[in-house]
Amino acid sequence: MDEMIKRPQNSQLTSSEHDEQKGKYMTFKSGNEFFGLKIQYVSEIIQFQAITAIPETEDYIKGLINLRGKVIPVIDVRLRFKQKPFEYNDRTCIIVINVKDMLIGLIVEKIAEVVEIKEENILPPPAIGRTDKVQNKYVYGIGKVGDSVKLLLDPDKLLNDEDLSVVEQVNDMIIEEE
Amino acid sequence: MAEEFSTDGMLDMYLFENEQLLEQLQERVLEQKDEECFDEDSINEIFRTMHTIKGSSGIMMFDNITAISHKLEDVFYYLREYHPENVPHLELVEHVLEVEDFISSEMEKIRSGNPVDGDASSIIADLDKFLDKIKNGESEKEGEEPPRVNVHVEPKQFYIAPVATSASRFYKIYITFFPETEMANVRAYKCVYALKEIAEDLLYSPEDIISDERSSDIIMEEGFRILLQAQCTEEEIRQIIGVGYDIQRVDVFECKAEEFLQGFDFGDPEVMIDLESSVEDIEARTQKQEQADEELQEEVKEAEKKPEKPKIAPGDFVIKSREPGKQKKLAKDKPKGEKASFISVNVKKMDQLMELIGELVISESVVLQNPDLKVPGLNLNSFNKAAAQLSKISTDLQNVIMSMRMVPLTNTFQKMNRIVFDVSRKLGKDIEFEMVGENTEVDKNIIEHISDPLMHLVRNAVDHGIETNEERIDSGKPDKGKVTLSAKTEAGKVWISVADNGKGLDRNKILEKARKQGLLDDNKPESDYTDKEVYQFIIQPGFSTNEQITEYSGRGVGMDVVVQNLQTIGGMLDIESTPGLGSVMNLKIPLTLAIIDGIVMETGGSSFVLETSVIKEFVRVKEEMMIHEPNGEEYIMIRGECFPVIRLGEWYGMKGYKESVEDGVMLILEMEDKKVCLFVDKLIGEQEIVVKPIPSYIKKVRGLSGCTQLGDGSIALILDAGGLIE
Repeated sequence: MDEMIKRPQNSQLTSSEHDEQKGKYMTFKSGNEFFGLKIQYVSEIIQFQAITAIPETEDYIKGLINLRGKVIPVIDVRLRFKQKPFEYNDRTCIIVINVKDMLIGLIVEKIAEVVEIKEENILPPPAIGRTDKVQNKYVYGIGKVGDSVKLLLDPDKLLNDEDLSVVEQVNDMIIEEE
Repeated sequence: MAEEFSTDGMLDMYLFENEQLLEQLQERVLEQKDEECFDEDSINEIFRTMHTIKGSSGIMMFDNITAISHKLEDVFYYLREYHPENVPHLELVEHVLEVEDFISSEMEKIRSGNPVDGDASSIIADLDKFLDKIKNGESEKEGEEPPRVNVHVEPKQFYIAPVATSASRFYKIYITFFPETEMANVRAYKCVYALKEIAEDLLYSPEDIISDERSSDIIMEEGFRILLQAQCTEEEIRQIIGVGYDIQRVDVFECKAEEFLQGFDFGDPEVMIDLESSVEDIEARTQKQEQADEELQEEVKEAEKKPEKPKIAPGDFVIKSREPGKQKKLAKDKPKGEKASFISVNVKKMDQLMELIGELVISESVVLQNPDLKVPGLNLNSFNKAAAQLSKISTDLQNVIMSMRMVPLTNTFQKMNRIVFDVSRKLGKDIEFEMVGENTEVDKNIIEHISDPLMHLVRNAVDHGIETNEERIDSGKPDKGKVTLSAKTEAGKVWISVADNGKGLDRNKILEKARKQGLLDDNKPESDYTDKEVYQFIIQPGFSTNEQITEYSGRGVGMDVVVQNLQTIGGMLDIESTPGLGSVMNLKIPLTLAIIDGIVMETGGSSFVLETSVIKEFVRVKEEMMIHEPNGEEYIMIRGECFPVIRLGEWYGMKGYKESVEDGVMLILEMEDKKVCLFVDKLIGEQEIVVKPIPSYIKKVRGLSGCTQLGDGSIALILDAGGLIE
């Protein structure tokens, strides 16, 4: 019931805030790169807290946290990108994102800032030329902000392991649409 | 009725009420299926039920339901009126159930938003035939004139047998309006409407006060007359009607039940029945009555004397329709306004409340076990007192919400009664059905899960378990088979058993079949299988020893579905059987799913919870009790018993767990007669835990059934003993 009530409000909010949110990206640093997530996906940013590990899962799934009574899974973005693990400290943050009504926490090394990237500044990812091709599947575009470059992430791909070729096809379609 | 209403909002109520009526109907019919005939009460009740369904379906414009319930009502009208003998009772029972099925299936269509398109005509034709049959048998014998049966589907005609209770009183009420009153019919209706609140039965004249404007004139000329059966005093009636600016006079006469039942002092009872008569006729008749108004008794007698009129037997009369639905009774001992002792609540709201209480339980433990309280030197006396009070209230709160969700098994059991009846009739077996402890209460969401398993088990019992009548006689058993469905609560679990006194399970047949399907272990001789193990084969998918596939069972689906359904709610199936004497299927089901008692433990820095009921005992063990197999498996001897050992840390490949069995704790778990020892680092304590699912993003992990929040806000994983033992 509660959800039913909340949702219309939310959708109103997003429609009225839509223009404001459009083209805005939450950026964070992982490894040497900066990544960007559409701000619509971001639910909140919380301090690092104790994680209950779940056995027999992929290494990047760190476990479960308790977000005000809700149990949500958290994944380590660096491990997800097959980068070297890093030490969590007080400054480590968890970005809680909402993808298809599912809340998931992303552990990131360092949160950067919210930036606006115009559509004309977003380029499709280069199909060849990158050595670690693995990353391409989560990255649907490359945004230029001034001199720096942000890799724009598709959260859905980030969460779910799918066949690479399929993902690339879908990515191409998305890029064509955009 | 002429009131305006939107059918949308009423649909739910319609379905809800009729469903209940049908359930009660079925219960009553099945109760008396073995009698010679229905007793007076049942006939009246079936009649009333059909009548109500007819009325409400008429309003909702489900014509086929209206038609069929009308027809069955006719049959029972006849039964009640003329008490025919030699009614083929079983045939009648089948007809009633047939009608009930039809209406149920139509209501199911309504519920799922499909068009209500069932064809009732064949059932109606059958009922017609049946009615003819009992009628003919009757009229030949007694030479009585054929009964009046209202053939047309006319939801405005109502025959209602009064629910006469000793406390009921009968009144004749005359209301006279001031001569200049306009719209007297509407005002009259207001009175009727007010009286409905207290009325057990109510009829009034002129009858068509809302839709027929002429009635206004009749009321002005003759006054408005009401017959009322209610549990109230004359004073109360006067109060309800009230003498307003438009009502000149209210006369209330108390009368005897007989007078009341004679129909009315309107003279001619046919006025009420006969809707085909022209308005002129009715008017002519009412004029006749006008003169007789004061001489009530005489008029009644006169009406009785009229030879051409059908004799109205005591217990029947004909009234104008009123809203179908439950009669509102004004109970004497209850003041008005306290009537609503039940409300129906959306299950979602209940679930929400449940969830909130779950949160409350968690927050409570967060507060009470807060690390801040552990600072040495604090004086916590009054805090502890307050905390105890808080715990008490939250426990009570939990119990209340739990009890709100508890529903008796009665309805589920009743459905089984019907299945036994249907299947045994079709198979030509004579079977008695017994229910024990059907009032046992179980959480609502559990009931939803056990209905199907029970149905399979009961069908199996009737179809496979119980022998045919001939076989029973041959083996010298009482010729009636018996299926017993029983329920009880014990040790926080519900035990439901389906027992039959049939032939029992055939061990050899099952083994043979199991061998064919390659389920047997080649290295194990057949004699090594215990009966229990053998019986477990029948729950394998596709396993059926029945060569012949019947309509009801034998396809080999069923038992595995039963077990699957049970497992989803944490239940278990246990099979007992004695060859020649019958078999018993025992279902063990948790009372509730949401909040369980758990033991919190720790291994390798992670917290786990196990349901208290699966833990047999905790033991500290010594290294020399361990038995190590060369292949790495471990066993432990405790008091001469040997248990396999699972080290939780190793099982989940964790780090930093205790290696030596002497440092940790062994838990002996028992589930489905299998026992294992689980080795953990240490025990934390016992806690009521609120079960939460593991987010779907994380794929299913063997041995985990959910997670929960502990007192300190951290999350613990709930271990599933069944998963560990497998």
